[in-house]
Amino acid sequence: MSPRTGGSRFPYGQLLILPALIMMIAFILLPIIWGIVVSFTDMSLVGPRAMKLNFVGLKNYLKLLGDADFYNSLRVSFFFTLFSALLGQAFLGLFLAILMRQEGLRGKTLAALAVFVSWVIPEVVAGYMWGVYASKRGLFCDMLSLLGFKPRNLLITNPLEMIIIANIWRGTAFSMILFSAALESIPNYIYEAAHVDGASAYQRFRYITFPLVSRALLVDFVLITIWTFSVFTMVFVMTGGGPAGKTELWTIFAYRRSLQPPYEVGYAVASTNLMALLVLVLVLLYMRMMKKIEVRGV
Amino acid sequence: MRRKLAWYIAGHLALALVIIFFGAPFLWLFFSAFDPKASAEFRIPEKFTLDWFKAMYEPLGGMPGGVIPLTWIVNSIIISVSTATLVTFLTIISAYSLTRYRFKGQEALLSAFVIFRLMPMIVVAIPVVVIYAQIEGIAKAYALNIALLNTFHGLVLVMSALILPFTLMIAEGYFRALPVEYEEAAMVDGCSRFVAFMKVTLPLALPGVATIWLLSFVTAWGEFLLPLVIMRSPYMYPASVGIYYWFGMYGRIEYGRISAFSLLFSFPSVVVFLIARKYLARGMAGLVTR
Repeated sequence: MSPRTGGSRFPYGQLLILPALIMMIAFILLPIIWGIVVSFTDMSLVGPRAMKLNFVGLKNYLKLLGDADFYNSLRVSFFFTLFSALLGQAFLGLFLAILMRQEGLRGKTLAALAVFVSWVIPEVVAGYMWGVYASKRGLFCDMLSLLGFKPRNLLITNPLEMIIIANIWRGTAFSMILFSAALESIPNYIYEAAHVDGASAYQRFRYITFPLVSRALLVDFVLITIWTFSVFTMVFVMTGGGPAGKTELWTIFAYRRSLQPPYEVGYAVASTNLMALLVLVLVLLYMRMMKKIEVRGV
Repeated sequence: MRRKLAWYIAGHLALALVIIFFGAPFLWLFFSAFDPKASAEFRIPEKFTLDWFKAMYEPLGGMPGGVIPLTWIVNSIIISVSTATLVTFLTIISAYSLTRYRFKGQEALLSAFVIFRLMPMIVVAIPVVVIYAQIEGIAKAYALNIALLNTFHGLVLVMSALILPFTLMIAEGYFRALPVEYEEAAMVDGCSRFVAFMKVTLPLALPGVATIWLLSFVTAWGEFLLPLVIMRSPYMYPASVGIYYWFGMYGRIEYGRISAFSLLFSFPSVVVFLIARKYLARGMAGLVTR
């Protein structure tokens, strides 16, 4: 009769997970399956096509292939993810984690707090702040003009660059915390031994730190790629996808096509299905990596 | 020693840049909330005022009469408290099932949680809105009155379902780490398995349970996309959606009031994350080194 092994024959204990499962099936799994079905119809949110399933085969998917707006949103999402997640957050996060380990630096707590708070405030507030901060009269422009740049509305002239910078600001904390944990697991005596052997700071990084955090780096890459690829709120509040679609991520594209005129639900859902498939591949890759780590015991 | 000095200076320089990059956006938000003449421009106010905070009771221009910013905060509290409570309850009984029993498909379930947790919100949000609309339509055809869109329960149900994979992953690791010996002792004394869990292990797990509640609370508190698509009337908006429409309204943007409101709205999130930092690292470790 230990809690770990069976007692009564009827699976009361197993049944206790049912309510949570039913919730997740009803509100996550079924909507996804429903989305797959609807992507083969010409369903609309309003009007006569709202209630009837009228199957049109692959029409939505074929239409996507020829839709310049869809390609544009893919391009925007690609650059957004590449620069703000992979090149921005991951490396800035690693740099910050290393910086925070240096001894004798004053102001580390303040810096860590600023990074952390940027990450935890509600996303809408972050979007509102940056929408003003990066505008022509905002503080960001004031600071740039101190460096000699001409003041201009960066959200109009360089919108993609601005949402990338804003997202680096928003998300770096995750990578920093992750790498800090990875660095803490490296015992200090390795560095001391290397120091005694005369290894330079660069060599210590190249031959000790980097190989030991490279695994964490890979995990970080996959996770922040998924999350950045899924971003909606911050960019939606900051720019609304504009000007002229220059910051229209695929999430914003799908939102506008389905829940705003022309309310083409079937078409929009076809686009999110393709993206969900892409994310699923990344998630499976991530789970494989985790399994390997578990086996090797790192 | 010269090299050491160079490192010292370079380190501080880097730190200063980090503080400017991450801290500067907050400066405007903070000062404009206390500045009687707040605008998009950054300036240190000559005079500090609390008027923008007091204006939470004043009606909003451009919105239907009677909508005041305080309405949105109250809505956010109703939504987040219900969501967090529902999620925590379901998470606890599920954690009992996951950690005290072994059954077929357990591993598959944990994998499913990972997939659910990492799916983009929009993939679920669009179908849910349309399904809600269809259910309402079908019910109407049978003269039933089922309301899901623009209701608190309609939002709380979806939001809870989407937070569950996250809390279940944290709870699974947490409850597995707690010893079962006390439970066994209680069972020898005549408690049933579930009672032993609830009376013995749960009190031990109170800090973890509180953290799960708080993390679900702030996740619901900051959530934007789901309430954006489900809520239709400004009377039902939570604060997150409220800020968006307020900021996007035509005409003069009331920077001072929006900033003050944003500060109030951000406060719970910051406090909870500072409290839950330790557990958050644990939950993240669960995602990184399971």
